Amino acid sequence: MTAPMRVRRKHHAFAAIAAVASSILLLFLVLPVVHLVIAAGAGGASRLFTDAELRQSLALTAITATAAALAAALCGTPLAWLLARRDFRGRALISAILDIPLLIPHPVAGIALLLFLGRGSALGAGLLAAGLRIVGTPLGIIAAMLFVSAPLFVSGAREAFARVDPRLEGVARTLGDPPWRAFRRITLPLAARGLIAAGVVTWARAVSEFGAIVILAYNPKVVSVLSYDRFNGFGLSEALPVAAALVLLSIIPLTALRALRMGAEPTGT
Amino acid sequence: MILATKLGARVGAFALTNISFHVPSAAYGVVIGPTGSGKTTLLEAIAGLVPATSGMLELSGHNATDDSPDVRDVGLVYQLGLLFPHLSVEANIRYGSADPAVADDVARRFGVHELFGRRVQSLSGGQRQLVALARALARRPGILLLDEPFSALDPARRAAARRELRAIHREWGLTTLHVTHDFAEAGSLGDVAILLDGGRVLQSGRPADVFRQPKSSYVAEFLGAENVFAGEIIAGGDGAVFRSGPLRLNVAGAPPAGPCNAIVRADEIVITRAAPAASSARNHFSGRVSDIESAGATWRVTIDADGAKLVAAMTTWSADELALSVRDTAHFTFKATAVHLC
Repeated sequence: MTAPMRVRRKHHAFAAIAAVASSILLLFLVLPVVHLVIAAGAGGASRLFTDAELRQSLALTAITATAAALAAALCGTPLAWLLARRDFRGRALISAILDIPLLIPHPVAGIALLLFLGRGSALGAGLLAAGLRIVGTPLGIIAAMLFVSAPLFVSGAREAFARVDPRLEGVARTLGDPPWRAFRRITLPLAARGLIAAGVVTWARAVSEFGAIVILAYNPKVVSVLSYDRFNGFGLSEALPVAAALVLLSIIPLTALRALRMGAEPTGT
Repeated sequence: MILATKLGARVGAFALTNISFHVPSAAYGVVIGPTGSGKTTLLEAIAGLVPATSGMLELSGHNATDDSPDVRDVGLVYQLGLLFPHLSVEANIRYGSADPAVADDVARRFGVHELFGRRVQSLSGGQRQLVALARALARRPGILLLDEPFSALDPARRAAARRELRAIHREWGLTTLHVTHDFAEAGSLGDVAILLDGGRVLQSGRPADVFRQPKSSYVAEFLGAENVFAGEIIAGGDGAVFRSGPLRLNVAGAPPAGPCNAIVRADEIVITRAAPAASSARNHFSGRVSDIESAGATWRVTIDADGAKLVAAMTTWSADELALSVRDTAHFTFKATAVHLC
């Protein structure tokens, strides 16, 4: 066998191993979900018409996840801009703090939130006195969702801002724009796709949250908690349609992200 | 008018230090310097995009050191154009313009009005530079800052753009500061030349003075002076002589004795095949031609004379007439006033 033939064979062998390994991982990720949808997708869809608790749970999940994503965007956008644009003391510390919710187990996050916002804490007692009950309410669900998903928004938004050349804003300033107008006319539109994508990921993460919510607000039930509740109380057959409905709900952000990526424009010149 | 007095600014580890120069009202200043010398940072500091850390900056007669960029009345054009990618060419040009007629006029003068409907991503590098220039001018600023604005243009369009810019500069009385690597551009455009290196101004003044009378051998070499010698004045006063090894140069004036550098520009040296008859020129050298090279429209001839290499310039016409070859003997003559000491 000649040397070039040996090299070609090695390349073929490497490509074959890579293809098999990639296929195994992709099948492992896709097959359980596909199987779930095939097994219970139709049932889940039909349950939407007959199961009032499931409908309420889906609506609650969508509303609380949207509220959490909006809160993350409102508070996270200035922070992301600061992290992307300004070099200041403590920036590394803030980045590390933002990693904490992603690193700790989510039931632990739920316990921490319960300690911080529960009636036993000064803040929880104060909020309760002001008429704001956190534990066991939609506010608690939003708090849990916000805690676990906000770092994803900040990270995505920071990347979106970092991709916009800061000199473009500088040019706008020399063309007469004060800082806020230059941000609104230049940086914000150029980062918009990235910010929306970060919001969609945040929303999807909030929808899929279970561990922190189940500690802080078991009731009213979001879909992930309802699915767990039905599994525990009635077995797999009752949990399947709920789980399938949750999968169908998560297709919305997946589709939105695909659409955003397909229409992506360059952010520099 | 731009008046910088001991201006300092910092970007990361790079610092502009003690920057002082003056571009009078309606004058055209050129900034020359090697890559990394701080030219772009200087423009950004004048535009207010990089804050001053020390010193003072006066723009159009008032202290603008702490003014924000939007109130400085300064237009800035980056080398890459930096057009807003989400806006059309027309929207870019009209971005800061209060008067649509000025935007239209400027766009027409630089030939970019026909690109109005185009997306900026579809433009060539040269077109982007012209649109960026039109965008800065459409606001009719009091001061225009240009960072190599013609570098992506072909020679014909560059010449046309330069002419148009010069015309607008004259018509509007527009104070301009233009960064360039091109010495010819600096010489043809500038009323004031500022030579920058390592974040410091090495020399500033009329381009002719900076080119003819560089303040140091470094400046001379950077500006392309071919004959730079380190040595000393051995006989001060009238009839002074500069010595560098075996080389002796007669110099004008009455410089004091002591170490210095001598600079002779190649285009101040006359080349002849035969020894020149008696003339007023005080310096005459004969030697064998060691090199002849083309430098565009001129030729550079090097001779070994008195142990030193001397370079002289001649036109292609002269080169044809003299028909010099390597190893021929040539005579170089120049006046004592052509020897600049620094």
